[in-house]
Amino acid sequence: MDANINGLKMDFLSSTMLNSRTSMEKISMIVDRVKNGDLVVIEGGLTPEEEAELIETTMREIDVENFMGIDIYTLEKDKKSFFGLSKSKIVGLTIIGPANVMKAVKKKSNFLSMIANLGDSNASMH
Amino acid sequence: MIWLVSMPKFLKRKFFKDIINKLFGKNKKLKIGFYGHPNSGKTTLANRITTDWIGKPIGLVSEIPHETRKVYRQEHVTLSLDDLELDFDIIDTPGIATKIDYKNFLEFGLSEIEAKERAKEATKGIIEAIKWLDDVTGVLLVIDSTEDPLTQANITIMGNLEARKIPFIIVANKIDLPEASPDKIHAVFPQHTVVPISALHGEHISDLYQAMVDKFN
Repeated sequence: MDANINGLKMDFLSSTMLNSRTSMEKISMIVDRVKNGDLVVIEGGLTPEEEAELIETTMREIDVENFMGIDIYTLEKDKKSFFGLSKSKIVGLTIIGPANVMKAVKKKSNFLSMIANLGDSNASMH
Repeated sequence: MIWLVSMPKFLKRKFFKDIINKLFGKNKKLKIGFYGHPNSGKTTLANRITTDWIGKPIGLVSEIPHETRKVYRQEHVTLSLDDLELDFDIIDTPGIATKIDYKNFLEFGLSEIEAKERAKEATKGIIEAIKWLDDVTGVLLVIDSTEDPLTQANITIMGNLEARKIPFIIVANKIDLPEASPDKIHAVFPQHTVVPISALHGEHISDLYQAMVDKFN
């Protein structure tokens, strides 16, 4: 992000783009961006193993002065079964951002609201 | 094979049982990992269990988050209920979190240097806890019932346990506190075994022992 602009950069990554990468490539792509202060929005979710790998990589990258880690939130959607009987949910969107930026998150079914802290000013997105 | 023929009947039975157990992996050592958020009460629970069954606590507890920053192991804890026994090792892991802000520790009276050191150690502890997911054979996922259970750390732990087919019990801890809501944990994870307890006061601990025997034996 341009250091002169006090804004929040958001990267939207499609599932097609992510699925063409290995798990390690996905994780480093996410962590590099988040460590840079950006917010990453992923279409779909990570596998449980990738989530664990993401936390592990984040812990390695934590620098007590400048990077305190990440926050992850997901927005689920109903999974449609063939007969329409299933009530299970799948992850529709995953939002990953620096922990010092993602300040307040309100999560309900099919709704996610987040306040991003941009230093002196605040930005909100719904 | 003459020695086998001349063996007493009960020894023969044991001999064949041991072979079958080895073939089907039943002799694999049971290692129960204590997982959860920092300050959910993992070490308090581990201390309760080891004090009840081997007469000594396993680790230190405090109100400051990330008190446990490395994995503690207690071998050979034998839990006996009626005619059933469960012999296992306790693997008490550091709390799993996605972020660590050293400034949070300052509120507990730590100096800035101590707080930063604690934060660094905590990051290593979380890595160690995640690595142990490959080695545990059962898990007690300890959730503070006064907090929102639907967190990324809990979801990640459960997802990994399910993917690895590791049996687990959700321990809804701290039910002694007035704001505790173990029903919420039941409601959020209806497909899993949830046992509400107070590790600190031992309330309903026998329910947990029964669930452990049922789930891990």
